[in-house]
Amino acid sequence: MAKSICIALREGALEGELAPTLTIKDSIASPFGLQVFDHVLSQLFSSILAGKSPSQGLILVSFSRSPSFYLELLKNKGINVASSDKRIHILDCYNDPLGWKDQIVEISSTVTVFREVKHMDKLFNSIIELGRGLVGGGKIRFSIAIDSVDEMLRRASVSSVARLLSNLRSHEQISSIFWLLHSDLHKARVTAVLEYLSSMVASLEPSHQLANGQRGDLENFALIEHNSKKGKFHVRFKKRNGRVHVMSEEVHMEQSGINFTPLTSEGAINQGLVPKVQFNLQLSEKERIDKANVVLPFEHQGDNGKPLQIYDGRRSLVDSKHERAVAVENVQTKEESESESESDRQRGEIIYYRDSDDEMPDSDEDPDDDLDI
Amino acid sequence: MAAAKTRSSSFSGNLSSAASSLGPGLKCGPNGTVLLSSGIPDLDKILGGGFPLGSLVMVMEDAEAPHHMLLLRNFMSQGLVHSQPLLYASPARDPRGFLGTLPSPAASKDDKSRGPEPDQLQEKGLRIAWQYKKYFGENQLNFDGQRDGKHKYSNEFNLRNPLERHFINGQRVDCFSIQDSPDLSILQDRCTTFLSQLPRNDGSISCAGRIAIQSFCAPQCVYSNMEWEMLSFIRSLKNMVQSSNSVAIITFPPSLLSPSFCKRWQHMADTLLSVKAIQDDDKELAQLLTGYQDMIGFLNVHKVARINTQVPVILEATTFSIKLQKRRYLILECLNQAPVDGSSGTSYGTSGSCSSSSKTGNLDF
Repeated sequence: MAKSICIALREGALEGELAPTLTIKDSIASPFGLQVFDHVLSQLFSSILAGKSPSQGLILVSFSRSPSFYLELLKNKGINVASSDKRIHILDCYNDPLGWKDQIVEISSTVTVFREVKHMDKLFNSIIELGRGLVGGGKIRFSIAIDSVDEMLRRASVSSVARLLSNLRSHEQISSIFWLLHSDLHKARVTAVLEYLSSMVASLEPSHQLANGQRGDLENFALIEHNSKKGKFHVRFKKRNGRVHVMSEEVHMEQSGINFTPLTSEGAINQGLVPKVQFNLQLSEKERIDKANVVLPFEHQGDNGKPLQIYDGRRSLVDSKHERAVAVENVQTKEESESESESDRQRGEIIYYRDSDDEMPDSDEDPDDDLDI
Repeated sequence: MAAAKTRSSSFSGNLSSAASSLGPGLKCGPNGTVLLSSGIPDLDKILGGGFPLGSLVMVMEDAEAPHHMLLLRNFMSQGLVHSQPLLYASPARDPRGFLGTLPSPAASKDDKSRGPEPDQLQEKGLRIAWQYKKYFGENQLNFDGQRDGKHKYSNEFNLRNPLERHFINGQRVDCFSIQDSPDLSILQDRCTTFLSQLPRNDGSISCAGRIAIQSFCAPQCVYSNMEWEMLSFIRSLKNMVQSSNSVAIITFPPSLLSPSFCKRWQHMADTLLSVKAIQDDDKELAQLLTGYQDMIGFLNVHKVARINTQVPVILEATTFSIKLQKRRYLILECLNQAPVDGSSGTSYGTSGSCSSSSKTGNLDF
């Protein structure tokens, strides 16, 4: 639920705790990560401006989009950055990350250019410095938004990025952090590392999985189009008591922005820890009828009291029409039995081959002769 | 001096002389081993008395829950209460801060008894004891601990109260951070110096030491991508611990390791445990298990140490639920399945969940 994430980020960290950290994870199948990031950013910043949060400022580290985009975005949301420039500061790692340009034109006073993205320690120091510049020293806290961690991982090793993030989390002046990650740009271990470091993981998934990954199929075009406007938003919260809270919503891309709505009829599929072990012992109507129609191989039973002749693979002594050798009989009878069984195929049948002729009927199958069921 | 007679073998050697020379917090175990407590009485019972000296315990963490910290806290507190030297390494910047969160032993006059089961119906006639094994535990007294007032073998720890400072200050407690070490040589040296104080002789054991390494392959550590080096560190630690009077516990998040290394690490352990997070508001689990509301996680016992014996330890159950009794005491309980209504094949409170024949996915006889 997007609202609960924003509330958790807004409330920030308690004393002595690590800062709540959100990872927004998307993939090519459901590429709304940037829009979700913008949404969370504007929500958090408006809460900071409105004074609803213990955090007094926001540092935005922008790697994948220009700072002017963010200034525009906030203006469009109705937030006047000029009057609030004491509350937000953008660390520009987009224009000149490696320090190639000789001169940089200052965009505005809210933006500082950072030119050494390969060095995570320096980035850490800059972030803390800017934050302190914004809110002052002491115990006042500020929040951090990182545009996308992918760019950081391009230039620095996983362990140095992890160290930066965990040091930010444990810094006493930081209230909350969130970042964006495109999960298909990295190995699974990198995603696992970032999830390990965060207390909330919001992942975007397509509402319909594409069959066999074939994107050229005609049927799949419709699905792809559907997926480009809608998706599923799953959040895993790590709560303080050690339990994991899982929530899901649907997300729609619209002209005005992004919308979150509760899940519709499909419902959340909860993977329980224990498999279902109960068997279905009940019969449907059809099954009951079929069961009643099965002819049981008890020779004393029969329809309406008539003695039932159960075909048993041998000609019985009663029927003296066919007097042939047993072997030939068997071959013949098998053919006949096949033709018979074809006609009887709708009914369930039990084919019973008697051991010997001189046995009493039913004597070899039920030792309890008293029982006459 | 807390020595209890072992009950498991019919041989009863002359234990009295050996028993008298054991330090506080140690007791004789089966097959000539000496045990020390994990700090969680339920875990000691499950493992057959405690952790044997000279063994390596590994705990597989769950990235979504901090339950391994509960195990570590109890382990470390137990050691400090018995004045056993402690070495603690963690990837945090300030590991000493963690010592402030260690729990203090529960006062013995606290009411720690488990309350009566709420499900029980008081009928005059026939009483049906659903899950009768639950009732056995109430009658067994922990008579080991009551014998001498001063040093119990294992304490229950009150997670709400922090450990008194004098336990931490006057001790041989060594903490350091493993985040910035470029390789594992520093950690190796610290462990070697620590263990050299606790050599194993044939004589008496005056004190045993504890080593706790938290989140060994945490991503913020510089060496975390050097998988072979980490593995050889674990192997050398295991060897050093085997020939000394100490127990080492290492926790690690298996999701951050490659699968083959994860397996190799699991094989290194003498005792292997894992903790798992539990999902909140999981209706299926709530129907399947009793006491779901109080559970905070699961503990799995994958391997129990076999020292000086070839006989495997076969446990009655390997999955336990972790609960906080009265929000203070860590207890482990067997999983109990909720009562199933025999007539319809569904458990109480559901409305035809899996026995309706309209679903095609069920086994159909």
